[in-house]
Amino acid sequence: MVDEEEIIRVAKLMKIDLEDHGEHVSRVKKMLEYFDILDQIDLSSEEITSQQKSLNELRKDEFIPYDKKLIESLKNFREHYVRAPKMN
Amino acid sequence: MTKIGLEIHCQLTKLESKLFCPCKANYREFEPNHNICPVCMGLPGSLPRLNQKAVESATSIALALNCQTPEKIAFFRKNYFYPDLPKNFQITQLNVYGDMSVGGEGYVDVEGKKIKIRRIQLEEDPGRLIYEGASDRTKITLVDYNRAGTPLVEIVTDPDFENPRQVRIFLNILSDLLENLGVAEPGLEGAMRADGNVSIEGGNKVEIKNIGSFHDLEKALHFELTRQQSLSERDIDIVMETRHWDDRRKITVSSRSKEEDQDYRYFLENDIPWVKIEQTTRDVLKENMPESISSKKERYVEKFDIAPQVAEIIASDRYYSQLFENAYSEQNAKDIANLITTDVIGFIDTKEKQQKSKITSKHLSDLIDAINAKTITRNSAKVALQEIVNSGKDTELILQEMDLGQVSDSSEIDAIISQIFEDEKQAVIDAKERPETVNFLVGKVMQKTKGKADPVKTLELIKSKLNQ
Amino acid sequence: MNLNTSILKYIEDVKSGKFTVEEFTAATLQRIKDVDEDVHAYLSLNDSAINDAKKIDQKMSSGEKIGQCYGFPISIKDNICITGTKTTCASKMLENFIAPYTSTVVNHLQNEDAVITGKTNLDEFAMGLTTEFSAYGPTKNPWNLDYVPGGSSGGSAASVAANECLASLGSDTGGSVRNPASFCSVVGVNRTYGLISRYGLISYANSIEQIGPMTKTVKDSAFLLNIIAGQDDNDDTTIDNSNVNYLDGIENGIEGKKIGIIKEMTTSDGLSSEVSAATKDAINDFESLGASCEEVTLPTIPYTVAAYYTITSTEAGSNLARYDNIRYGYEMDSEGYEYNSYISKSRTKFGPEVTRRIILGGFVPSAGHAGKYFLKALKVKSKLISEINSAFEKFDYLIAPTAPVQPFRFGEKIDDPVTLMLLDYNTVTANLTGKPAISVPYRISNGLPIGMQIMANSLQEKALFQAAYALETKTKLPEVPL
Repeated sequence: MVDEEEIIRVAKLMKIDLEDHGEHVSRVKKMLEYFDILDQIDLSSEEITSQQKSLNELRKDEFIPYDKKLIESLKNFREHYVRAPKMN
Repeated sequence: MTKIGLEIHCQLTKLESKLFCPCKANYREFEPNHNICPVCMGLPGSLPRLNQKAVESATSIALALNCQTPEKIAFFRKNYFYPDLPKNFQITQLNVYGDMSVGGEGYVDVEGKKIKIRRIQLEEDPGRLIYEGASDRTKITLVDYNRAGTPLVEIVTDPDFENPRQVRIFLNILSDLLENLGVAEPGLEGAMRADGNVSIEGGNKVEIKNIGSFHDLEKALHFELTRQQSLSERDIDIVMETRHWDDRRKITVSSRSKEEDQDYRYFLENDIPWVKIEQTTRDVLKENMPESISSKKERYVEKFDIAPQVAEIIASDRYYSQLFENAYSEQNAKDIANLITTDVIGFIDTKEKQQKSKITSKHLSDLIDAINAKTITRNSAKVALQEIVNSGKDTELILQEMDLGQVSDSSEIDAIISQIFEDEKQAVIDAKERPETVNFLVGKVMQKTKGKADPVKTLELIKSKLNQ
Repeated sequence: MNLNTSILKYIEDVKSGKFTVEEFTAATLQRIKDVDEDVHAYLSLNDSAINDAKKIDQKMSSGEKIGQCYGFPISIKDNICITGTKTTCASKMLENFIAPYTSTVVNHLQNEDAVITGKTNLDEFAMGLTTEFSAYGPTKNPWNLDYVPGGSSGGSAASVAANECLASLGSDTGGSVRNPASFCSVVGVNRTYGLISRYGLISYANSIEQIGPMTKTVKDSAFLLNIIAGQDDNDDTTIDNSNVNYLDGIENGIEGKKIGIIKEMTTSDGLSSEVSAATKDAINDFESLGASCEEVTLPTIPYTVAAYYTITSTEAGSNLARYDNIRYGYEMDSEGYEYNSYISKSRTKFGPEVTRRIILGGFVPSAGHAGKYFLKALKVKSKLISEINSAFEKFDYLIAPTAPVQPFRFGEKIDDPVTLMLLDYNTVTANLTGKPAISVPYRISNGLPIGMQIMANSLQEKALFQAAYALETKTKLPEVPL
């Protein structure tokens, strides 16, 4: 059983405002309960792997300047800086 | 027993480009937000591209710190929201599925004590925040993303330090080592930062973050130790927590509320494949590493009979050791070394001055040759050095222009001596009676010739004149 | 002008002078005007399409070298960046986002003289199976406007099916190309992970998603893959495909090949009777083409949907964290807000499905729960890969119907999250294992499409196209009634 309080706490961490979205909690809960199926499979011998590359396939260390004007095409930019709301 | 551990972040400013994109690694020369691209800005659809040389540099650091280095390295995401993080996650390294960061389990020798290096990892620096005005009333945070994506090496030690002094020595050794490797410039502002953790006997571990410089680190450690000791004396529990250094008030302050609710949800960064680092690669890196400081020092002492303190000074500083290495020959090594440590250091005593100085190894060897050939005196050489450092002009040219050539012509010196004998009749009488006072007259000749007279010859000639 | 043609036929016709690029483009644009108000496949149109077409005609008449595409019209899913165009991912969060750079795949297309008609609709941020989660209204299935076109690349599939273009580029994370391909009766390809650059594809689940061609015919998909596949310096996860020509030998057939019928995907209770019947017929068709068919079991499959959603929501939670409306997004004054409240407020613009996935994505990898969900899901992935690799030692292909059901009415499935998730049951295996898979339009039953899915081993796209082409020769499909 998944704790609804926990879902609300997580939503806050993910910067999701749940005030208007109360119904989401029950739906998320249903999905999580479906995921319980993962408990039924034997995974003891499994290892996690990934795509691999060798060192010399990586990008060479070169400075390539990008378009100086990139910053102007983004919002909240004024007089050199991006402006974000103040931290508390 | 007091236990102090460190978490050091060092920018790899000697690289050309950032960790995941081709913007410049050393962002300092740019106007704010003019050293960015879609990748380091985390624009939708952009993908990171790992810098090969960054991996090599970080591996070299790990090898230089006596670490184990793994066969494969991987990157992970540390997820949290902050305005200086363009993607609201930081790409870093973890050792979760085995050893996957560039190195670990190494050590550094600090006055005979082995400080264990727990882990070395590559990660990206976030951007920089500037708070408009310093007051609480302002509602804006200004962000400059030039620094976002700059390659960082994070070095984590075990809590093996017993006092702040050991920390200071360690940091000096580490800075010299990193600079010597040619991967970083610890002297650049903000290029090397350290956070610490402190615990005293019977107390919990306290982490201290937000420390701006090594200077502040020492202050913070001292403050924190005092704070903990005073708590302990009053039988108050030292709580395990994170505190941040308040630079204005010079104290550590609890950040409990900030850290509490964090969950970084670490998982593999799937846009970057695992990178295989073959043993052969590591061997080549080790081979191509610049000679270590201790090895240089040993060599200077053993091979050239240079005094250990002199050898230490030159070996520890990349700038001086390079000057030395390119200047010395079998015969003049000791002289060059002494010239550097007695005179050159006086003129070039900061990293900035090292950057600006125009002196080359050729200047040094020319000067030593001139001194040994008695073309100039040691004093004159010092004067010449100042000009060399400022202008970089050819040594011979400077000697000519400044008229620093040693006066060794006997008749010339003789003429001056005669003059002095005329002017200082009493001193002459004194010298005849008490020979040890003859140096006064030598000094006068040196004064008159602006230090250019050959002191040995001068003394000879004065003595013979006195005996006449 | 007959817009219901294939890319290859179109190129032949342009070369032979049957019509000019401008004429075909103009007709296509007219078609869009005529039907897209009903279908709503497009979110935005390319204003310079006609000019681009004219330029290509000029190049041709002046004898200049022409790219392989000869100006055929192609639409692009709106989560793929093109410089200077709005790229919204069908979300209000990116309402005003104008991409400052072009994705590699579109670069390839433009370099080869394709004409981009516009950006197509999708489920918001590619999360969904019916395109009902688009913040700009759903796309309708051209076969029956009351029915869903599938998702998340619903707009792409519909634009091709409705003859509003000859091809489209969609993206496939759990079936988002194959599922709408099946629902709209077009070809949809999901290739080996790493074969096509993701640079410029706005990330939802980066360890799994891929851009995929959607076309009318199998040969067209092979042609399109030739243009867009290959190693890319801008994407470290791309692999070298040694410049394979996917059209080469495509008609070789499948005589003597071994085909595995995936038991878990063909006998599960979720298959509708029409789909079940179609599957049996498809198996007969394969056998008549000279292949031998045998049932194969992949016991991990029942766990794949849970694993898939766990992994993708984790990645989505992270990939969508950057949308805090500070550097780009939509207009929202920060007056009166501090940092955390500003972000939370701005993120209320996410639609309901995206919101839920983000919450899930915060939950399943979190410190207290990762062991139960996320790490298990990763291991399911590993286990599945071993299983399918074993299967490919015995079989050349693995088949199943693409979707367990035919298209359904709007609103029918949207309220039950688990039912919705299970629509992906047959498709997520290919994504989790990184293997190539194709959906071939097989039948129209009661006016609604059914597609068949073929999977091959990694980097076996050529063989995959051979099997798909062979099956295609056995199908005879009516024209779309729109």
